[in-house]
Amino acid sequence: MQTADAVVIGGGVIGTSIAYRLAEHRKVVLIEKGEIGAQTSGACDKAIFLQSKKPGFPIKLANASRRIYENLEDELEASIEFKKDGGMIVIEKESHLPFMKDFIKKQNKAGIDVKLLDRKESLAWQPSLSSHIAGSAYSKEDAEVNPLLLSQGFAEASKRKGVEIQTHTEVTDIAVNHGKVIGVQTDKGYIATELVVNAAGPFAPKIAEMAGIGLTIMPRRGAILISEKVKPLIHGNILCSQYIAAKHLEESNSNDPPYGIGLSLGQTESGNLLIGGSREFKGFDKAVEPEVLSAIAAHANRIAPALKQIRIIRTMVGFRPFTGDGLPIIDESRDVKGFIIAAGHEGDGIALAPITGVLVASLADNNSNYKDLLEPLRMNRMQAV
Amino acid sequence: MSKDILICRCEEVMLSELKAGINEGLTTAKALKLKTRAGMGICQGKTCRPLIEQIVAHYTDKEIPDGSGLTFTYPVRPISLIELAGERKGVE
Repeated sequence: MQTADAVVIGGGVIGTSIAYRLAEHRKVVLIEKGEIGAQTSGACDKAIFLQSKKPGFPIKLANASRRIYENLEDELEASIEFKKDGGMIVIEKESHLPFMKDFIKKQNKAGIDVKLLDRKESLAWQPSLSSHIAGSAYSKEDAEVNPLLLSQGFAEASKRKGVEIQTHTEVTDIAVNHGKVIGVQTDKGYIATELVVNAAGPFAPKIAEMAGIGLTIMPRRGAILISEKVKPLIHGNILCSQYIAAKHLEESNSNDPPYGIGLSLGQTESGNLLIGGSREFKGFDKAVEPEVLSAIAAHANRIAPALKQIRIIRTMVGFRPFTGDGLPIIDESRDVKGFIIAAGHEGDGIALAPITGVLVASLADNNSNYKDLLEPLRMNRMQAV
Repeated sequence: MSKDILICRCEEVMLSELKAGINEGLTTAKALKLKTRAGMGICQGKTCRPLIEQIVAHYTDKEIPDGSGLTFTYPVRPISLIELAGERKGVE
């Protein structure tokens, strides 16, 4: 029988980041049912946006994570293609201007460097944009990373710290005795452990259920178009204010585009454009309807018409773990001691992966170093309101 | 002295890179793709997919899978953004 100080379930950006931090003083096993970073973490855009987060606690959390990124390549001894290229939120319609002006004011108050650019200034920075846009919000603090390299970088660095990574291994049961975790059963064997971290993203409810814990995280499907390689066309990353409106405004408008469409646009180091995206509740159905892809293309084409002749070679679909309030759950279960949940990052998994590892390590060490960041991420906050 | 062989032409991935991945413990075409970009190029593995699957089977001593371990997605062939935006028939 195998034993471990901690078992991390899920080998995406979140699970690998956690395994890396826990390995500091522990013997850690990471279980992944498929490949490292191949599900949600391999079907997302590459932006680390700060200015898109809600002013208040979400900004504080994202900022703490962003600071870890500053030295992460040195720490992991690997290139993760981290670049401080800035980010822009295109304000397409005049009707979004008042909302966005207010949003920028709040971001500035929260200490985020965001500027409102007019049409001319916006086009000077991003010549691919349409001349019909109303303006944009620009922040030089936004950055980008290659999510595939991020998962692999955390995984490799974890291995160097002694983490055992078991891929193609599925968790089938969590053994609990007298309200305490005692082990993890997989299809390959049993691991005795007193600490389990559920980092299974959209699949986290299934894992929690094995420990008798109810968890409400829904898969929100997002599709992204991938283009052929082209010369550098996009500076940093672009979102549209529709995305911000869809993300932060509770009431939806009948004029909103279908399928939860909002632009996210960036270009990889290799030259491929990543053009997103949709946001839909469709269970775990990976077959995205052609209408959705057409709608994403139409939206991107309207905002960045310079891209119209570029060829799309592939689409990718990911299931973002949706909690309902835009924040992940990072907490130890009150009912099952030793069972930590770190899931539900939705579209912010890349931005929040670094801090999530640190927060879970703090929970596991039972110290109060990050009390202010962990308190709002408790799992019972949903019932509390 | 053995010569290296080009496997993925679009992304210029050599046999030696795939073998190195397998030696590091990767056991599937998908894992090799994520690591080396083999099959990520403009043809989306239309040329190299069978090769990669044979290489994995050969070096990991497994059967060549019946179905591909790599997923197929829309569009079937490259299509311009404007065509994709315009007409449904463009993505069939």
